[in-house]
Amino acid sequence: MTWASVVFLAVGVWGQRLLGMFVGARVVGRVPALARLATLIPAAVVMAVIVQLTLGDGRSLTIDARLAGMAVAAVLVWRRAPFVAVVCAAAATTALVRALGG
Amino acid sequence: MNGEPSAGPGRSDLAALALTFFALGVTTNVIVLDRVGSVGLTIGAALIVNSATSEFAYVAVRDAGGSEWAAILAGWVVASRFGLFAVSLGARLRVGPAHRAAAAVMSFDPNVTLAVQQADPRGVVAVFWRVTAAMFAGWIIGTLVGAGLGNVLGDAERLGLDAVFPAALLAIIGNLLRRGDGALAAAVGGGLCVLLIPIAPAGVPIIASLAGAVVALGVREPAP
Repeated sequence: MTWASVVFLAVGVWGQRLLGMFVGARVVGRVPALARLATLIPAAVVMAVIVQLTLGDGRSLTIDARLAGMAVAAVLVWRRAPFVAVVCAAAATTALVRALGG
Repeated sequence: MNGEPSAGPGRSDLAALALTFFALGVTTNVIVLDRVGSVGLTIGAALIVNSATSEFAYVAVRDAGGSEWAAILAGWVVASRFGLFAVSLGARLRVGPAHRAAAAVMSFDPNVTLAVQQADPRGVVAVFWRVTAAMFAGWIIGTLVGAGLGNVLGDAERLGLDAVFPAALLAIIGNLLRRGDGALAAAVGGGLCVLLIPIAPAGVPIIASLAGAVVALGVREPAP
């Protein structure tokens, strides 16, 4: 990675954010039928990121200790546990299952 | 975050979010520093690119022997999700162009997701910047520590730290999953991601999850 790679990466990252805000959002904001996309996009995209971080291993799927941690997190979220508890329990469960050879 | 949908994140939620981003900042920048070799460039990349995901994608392609341009392209593709978050946030923001631009470049998963759940436009702005401040403080301090002091957290995997960020994200969409349309969007988005990870290039499974949001538009929002 060089300073040039940093600049090129930044152009793509910042550019897409500004495009989303000034072009995409304008369309979604003006078409009432699309208004709910404002909350549905995070629901769909964040879940995909969770799946990637839990089951992804490069370009393959794998089941390991992370899935146990996320299962515990899911139960706690469903039970409306505090945010701190969800995050700590997920890390502790993942670490424990890994220590046990999972 | 799991309280009433209208109440934004409380002080302890924000502190935990800052700690989550601190852990992310340390672990990301230890990896980047290992590849880059320069502390200044590592910190510069964290602050200028402003996307750990893009840095990871770049590093992964270079590690696999890919060219500089292939690595940059991968960084762009995985960052498309931030463009989608900017669409979500922008549709709910009632502020001037300079404020919109500032919010756009700071659009991440947690701050946008929590902000757009606010009914009142002023609540959207307040929650967005409050969460952004907590995240960014954790990320910057984590970056400085990771790049400057090295891996103070020890073996991140042994401590289960790789589960911290996905668990935080799950808590953040908790209230959306309690709605019929939100649950459908997440199920379709997550399902598509599972199907596409083995066959599509990095980043594509995340963009494709947008289809989940479109499908869920067809479901009537249940009365609260």
